[in-house]
Amino acid sequence: MKTSKTDVVAEYLREVDQRLAGLPVLQRRELLADLAAHIAAEREERNLSAEGEVIEVLERLGSPEAIAAAAHEEAGTRPAPPARTTNWVLIGLVAAGALVVLFVLCGLVFFAQGSSSDDAPAPQRTAPVPTITG
Amino acid sequence: MGELSTGLRRGTLEFCVLAMVEVEDRYGNEIVRRLGDEPNLAAGEGTIYPLLSRLRRSGWLESKWVESPSGPPRRYYGLTAAGRSALEHFRSEWVSFRQTVDRLVGTGETA
Repeated sequence: MKTSKTDVVAEYLREVDQRLAGLPVLQRRELLADLAAHIAAEREERNLSAEGEVIEVLERLGSPEAIAAAAHEEAGTRPAPPARTTNWVLIGLVAAGALVVLFVLCGLVFFAQGSSSDDAPAPQRTAPVPTITG
Repeated sequence: MGELSTGLRRGTLEFCVLAMVEVEDRYGNEIVRRLGDEPNLAAGEGTIYPLLSRLRRSGWLESKWVESPSGPPRRYYGLTAAGRSALEHFRSEWVSFRQTVDRLVGTGETA
């Protein structure tokens, strides 16, 4: 019984902590310590025994999302999306960017070669130009 | 909580916090419980702790951990001199601000 109540609180605090990424580390620690002290004091003063009563304390505190949002608002930071999503979005963006650059470069090289064969050869055309083979 | 209350709350809730510890120091649970009882002030008791943190870091509140005779240590908050003058300044600003809004919106005399 004792361990299950502690689990509820530990899980709640972990949920809050996960949403505090991006917050300065000391503010993050401070908030978790304040919440833990709040819960401990409520339990002690009101002599809470059942898990349902502890859950009620957590409900009054608010959802981990709401608390983290308030923390980010006060600190002027932005809540970080889950790490995995960020990485994939970043990788996708980088890959798309690289493709666009590649296309533009290919187009430029193609256009330069095409137009130079049409027009009169410029004097500096004789300078060695890196050739793309294959 | 609607957009309106969120906007109105921003900038006023912190002075409600300062007023709570004006006369005597209080610990976190007392402050957040009192404000959490007002449905249009706080979205949840836990959202007050980040505000307490900011007020402490900006020098309007000071805090100290005090051992409790029965139970875990409590973090007490009190007003600093800067916090006290900020609260006084808000009080005079708020009255004229409220009167202006009442006059323009028509919430003053008819009520």
